[in-house]
Amino acid sequence: MSGTEARLARVRGRALPRSHNARTIAALAANPGCARRAIMDAAGVDKQRIAAYTGYPAPFGQSRFALARGTAFEAQVKASGAAGLLTLLREHLDLPIPEAHYDDLNDVGGNTDLTVRYAATRQKLATAVTSAADAGTMFDHPLLRLEVGGRHAFLEPDLIAFQLRGRFHVVEIKSFAVIDGQADGDKVAQAAIQSAVYVLALRQALAGHGVAPETVADETILVCPKDFSSQPAATSVDVRKQLTVLRRQLSRIARIDDLLGQLPPGLTLDLDPDGAGVPQRKPAGLAAAIRAIDARYAPECLNTCEMCFLCRDEARGTTARLGRAAREELGGVEDVPAVLRLARGEHRPEEEGDLAEAAALLRSAAALRAEILGEAV
Amino acid sequence: MGEPVVELERRIAALRTALRMAALAGEKEQARALRAELRAAERAWDDLLAEDEAGAGAERPAGTAESPAGTGEGARVTERPGALMPLREQVHEALSLLTVPAAPRLLAAVHEAFFASSFPTARVTSLKRDEERSFRLAPYARPYYICAALAADRLAPSRGLLAVSTWPAERRMIGSLSPRVDFLVSAIRVADAIGRLPAGSLPADRLLRRFAANIPGVPVHSATVDLRMVVQAAQAELEVHQAADSRVRRAAARRVRELDDVQQLFGARFGEERVSG
Repeated sequence: MSGTEARLARVRGRALPRSHNARTIAALAANPGCARRAIMDAAGVDKQRIAAYTGYPAPFGQSRFALARGTAFEAQVKASGAAGLLTLLREHLDLPIPEAHYDDLNDVGGNTDLTVRYAATRQKLATAVTSAADAGTMFDHPLLRLEVGGRHAFLEPDLIAFQLRGRFHVVEIKSFAVIDGQADGDKVAQAAIQSAVYVLALRQALAGHGVAPETVADETILVCPKDFSSQPAATSVDVRKQLTVLRRQLSRIARIDDLLGQLPPGLTLDLDPDGAGVPQRKPAGLAAAIRAIDARYAPECLNTCEMCFLCRDEARGTTARLGRAAREELGGVEDVPAVLRLARGEHRPEEEGDLAEAAALLRSAAALRAEILGEAV
Repeated sequence: MGEPVVELERRIAALRTALRMAALAGEKEQARALRAELRAAERAWDDLLAEDEAGAGAERPAGTAESPAGTGEGARVTERPGALMPLREQVHEALSLLTVPAAPRLLAAVHEAFFASSFPTARVTSLKRDEERSFRLAPYARPYYICAALAADRLAPSRGLLAVSTWPAERRMIGSLSPRVDFLVSAIRVADAIGRLPAGSLPADRLLRRFAANIPGVPVHSATVDLRMVVQAAQAELEVHQAADSRVRRAAARRVRELDDVQQLFGARFGEERVSG
């Protein structure tokens, strides 16, 4: 283990490590085959900074205004012992009136150390299940842990609600509006997969105390501002599908050791800062080091990964850049010129097999296109 | 202004120099990369400064207009009576009305509703620190202190809640049901206070509505919220929680007496509380 740690530290260089969070796990699970992302995340590399340094600054990142709005909305919902949220839960889960406990897990007696908070969270939640007495309804900012690619990542859901006769529900507070019952599909999907990450982590945390996984509901609660007001509204989100996907993807994320084994031995993404913190490394050299790690680009990366522009540039001329659906349709042929050669019949695969089949399909597609448009491809 | 800002400034200066050198040497790629670094550093500097500003703004008096008014302009005083009072007295007034521990934001809203002046909540953080310092220097020299509410399990200061030192200890203990109980008590106190007002006021009405919306059994969609209904509904729910809550609070209050005087009022830090054994 220490060998892996040392290797990852070398990849990261002298910069401070960044840790996984629900967002990065969700992004990783969306593209589990990407070694570049897996290694950079495992090493805790500041991808935003590296991407900007190599000349491919990420198109996103959370805006300061969005963060402020999110924080303000969460504070509003959680004000006065989460009174607003309690009302929503009572309406939504038929929470009995005596269930009005509120436990603040943001710190443990003023201590915000992650390990201490994690231990306190586990103990509190386990007591809530096992003890007969009322022992908690709302847990504010519990701290959970999930193993990703052989390393632990700490996670902090907005809130976990526990219903006496029922189960734990993960509550996610988001500041995007639900207007007339409709919300931005992408944002809901992202919130759903984040919630699924929390559900999984919560199940793992409780498993250590002999609590069955079903105790954590696979239906999570999304709290958003309603219409054009700042009035909160709750919606149930079924994350069963996301959970299946996530579990499968997490198990497929190759063990980080195997990935590290394939890297050139001295590889590092260090910016080589001098005494004053000015990076001395040549951007081209850094980009070359990044390219030494295999990436699997898909257009979806543009929504989730800071390295996306670099990878997209690298993937020029490949079928991957056309999206997963197109890539599969094209019969697994890797680059666009090869596809065109097959379609034009300039290249006819000798042996029978997938390639020959793809070639036949492409040729007939080209013929159809020529017939309709009256010109050759 | 903290050390990190100075550190960042040094880094920004170094980055600028490096950028100029790279540009002069015609190393376009390096220059572009350094420009990205510089921009990130400048953004971090902006953020840090904004934080410091928020903190420093808290030290200044609430408004410039009030400060020279101390000479005794009678008309002005009656117009905005609360504005001339020190922050700790404003907080004390609001806490005394609610009779339970509360967060700065709620206290500011209460003060605005009933004492016709509000205060910036950012200043309250430093108030608590000042109170603790003053208590450490000369214990019990003041008739009351604005102090912390304590989490019942570890007797550490409960995040963001303020209380008054002269209250019985158990009222300052916060168990897991206490936030709800205190919310309901606050609702009743606010409704009572509105009943005593000679005429309705918009901030008071808004405050009551905020409470009423989160108490089951109070219709809030009508033009006016029925005060009696709020009190009744709050009392009904209070009855459900009160016994369990006071058990926890009383037990914690017994333990808190074993702490030293400062810890009793401002809370034990993690690891310190073992004094009680």
